[in-house]
Amino acid sequence: MASPAFADVPRSFFQEKILLGMTPREYLRSLVTPGNALVAVILCVGLPLMVYRFAAGLGATTNLSQTAPWGIWIGFDMMTGIVLAAGGFTLATTVHLFGLHDFHPIVRPALLTAFLGYVMAIVGLIADLGRPWNMVYVFVRHGTPSALFEIAWCVVLYSSVLFLEFLLPTFEWLGLKRFRSVLLKIMLPLTILSVVFSSMHQSALGSLFIMAPGKLHPLWYTPWIFIFFFISAVMAGISMVIVEASLSHKAFMSRIHHHFDLAKLQYGLARGGAIVFFAYFFLKLQGVIDMHAWGYLWSGWGAWFAVEMLGFVLLPAILYAVGARNMNVKLVRLGGALGVIGIALNRLNVSVIAFNWNLPSAQRYVPSWMEVAVSLTLVVLGVTLFRFCVNRMPIMSEHPDYAGSEY
Amino acid sequence: MLTHDFLSMYPAKQAEYALAISYMLAFIGWWRFVNGGKRAEAELRLEHAEPAKATAAAAAAEQPWFSIPANVWLHPGHTWARAAEDGTVAVGLDDFAHKLVGPVEKVALPKPGAPVGQGVPAVVLASSGKSVPMLSPVDGVVSEVNEELVSDPTLLSNPYVQGWLFKVRPARLRANERQLLGGERARVFLDEAAAALAAKVSPELGHVLQDGGSPVSGIAQELEPEKWDALARSFFLTEEA
Repeated sequence: MASPAFADVPRSFFQEKILLGMTPREYLRSLVTPGNALVAVILCVGLPLMVYRFAAGLGATTNLSQTAPWGIWIGFDMMTGIVLAAGGFTLATTVHLFGLHDFHPIVRPALLTAFLGYVMAIVGLIADLGRPWNMVYVFVRHGTPSALFEIAWCVVLYSSVLFLEFLLPTFEWLGLKRFRSVLLKIMLPLTILSVVFSSMHQSALGSLFIMAPGKLHPLWYTPWIFIFFFISAVMAGISMVIVEASLSHKAFMSRIHHHFDLAKLQYGLARGGAIVFFAYFFLKLQGVIDMHAWGYLWSGWGAWFAVEMLGFVLLPAILYAVGARNMNVKLVRLGGALGVIGIALNRLNVSVIAFNWNLPSAQRYVPSWMEVAVSLTLVVLGVTLFRFCVNRMPIMSEHPDYAGSEY
Repeated sequence: MLTHDFLSMYPAKQAEYALAISYMLAFIGWWRFVNGGKRAEAELRLEHAEPAKATAAAAAAEQPWFSIPANVWLHPGHTWARAAEDGTVAVGLDDFAHKLVGPVEKVALPKPGAPVGQGVPAVVLASSGKSVPMLSPVDGVVSEVNEELVSDPTLLSNPYVQGWLFKVRPARLRANERQLLGGERARVFLDEAAAALAAKVSPELGHVLQDGGSPVSGIAQELEPEKWDALARSFFLTEEA
């Protein structure tokens, strides 16, 4: 794809594909931006911390204890990272299974977000496991009564499927036509598997908490929590796609060759979001009644529950509805941002904040600075990898050689 | 230890049913709210922005613009197929295609013995320096081509009889038939094509309707002298990628 002006300058494959056609010196110079400087600082702190965690152990780096064995590496990196990756299966279902092809231009960014979200969640999980090398036992021992067994298998299978889906733009980028055509033949089964595995995984993360009725606050606990996890994953998927598409549409404008009406797609997503958020709001209230937990609504925990339900479920629902009605894309995007924050808050509430709620405050878990730094590093790493891929691969636009492709 | 109220079953169930019913009632209003507003109005305007569609459909109901005999099957790319008793299938282009493209200068047909595939371009119509491919309606091997048509393309003015293009020994006619439109479905298909064409070009075609006339041959060239081939391709499903 050399532009005619440079056609006579021979460039290596590495230069062409990795350095965006620049010489190493030019490429390094192009990297010097304020944003990249901030990224570099965070990575310079965070990556050594991850090495330190494996060298010195969990006790030296985290505030985890026997009473609080799960911290933000689970509550944020795993629970939130996975639910925010739900945009991948939500959109893949919408486009490839339900056939709403209008949303086609935003499927690949959503799948890439999902893949990187899973990769980062897995890195966070490995950091959180006391003996990560024991993970192999999941494959050789059949611990079927364990909720974690289901989760482990879902993570492995779904991230493999995401990896294969991610290979498609990779092959297009590297010009591996034959591999691409082979992969293309299994894309439909892959899409179906991705929906199966990810919906199983999203709900299985909720099933973990069925076993903790005494530990999780009754306003959040319900035996139906796995259903709430699944529905809120769809909500997070819709919201995340709205937010992520707005941001990357702005940031990677130059990468978008075929312009499409993003706002129109977002009204469509917002309409769906309004319906799901609204239904979820009532289901959550049903959960409170079912647990006979309404007495707690007038406590401090009740106020916090109300913040989550009114500010981050009902309000986004209203913003989506009014935004879609009046074609006000700002309201829709605000709703998306609140929706993303709201679902992240829900996962943190369930797994960290309202977990062990009846312990005396001295025994309650507060993350150490190193835990926060590692979590931040993983987010920054994910965003950096996203930028790396989008700047090189046909993510925001179709590859000209494969225009009109279904996947 | 737990301070929340353990009520008896009945008040809790009452509250659950009350919530479920109020949810369903609220959902009706919510659904109407979400699906209303400016966006819905804009979509409605878009639907009404095609006045010629309704007019054309009404006109088509009284006197169809485009004719179709009873014994042919139409392909969505505006070619037809007609099975003969000797086991071959004759292929041609329909009245709509003929009237859309009008008198052509040259018709390029496949050679006898050449394979053709359903939905694969098989024929090229050329006129005033532009050409438009058309799709074969069936799979098979060409057994005979209409040589008279090649030497005299005006035969296309009788598209279902003298204007046949080629004959095919079909490979899997039964499977191909499922993709073809016969009888009433073919009639509806042509009416819809007429409506779509009228909607596409309503200002120019409006007076034709008011006059009570039917479209003349060569509509595409009349309407878009520069890009008539693109217009035709959009109806023949042979748009360039």
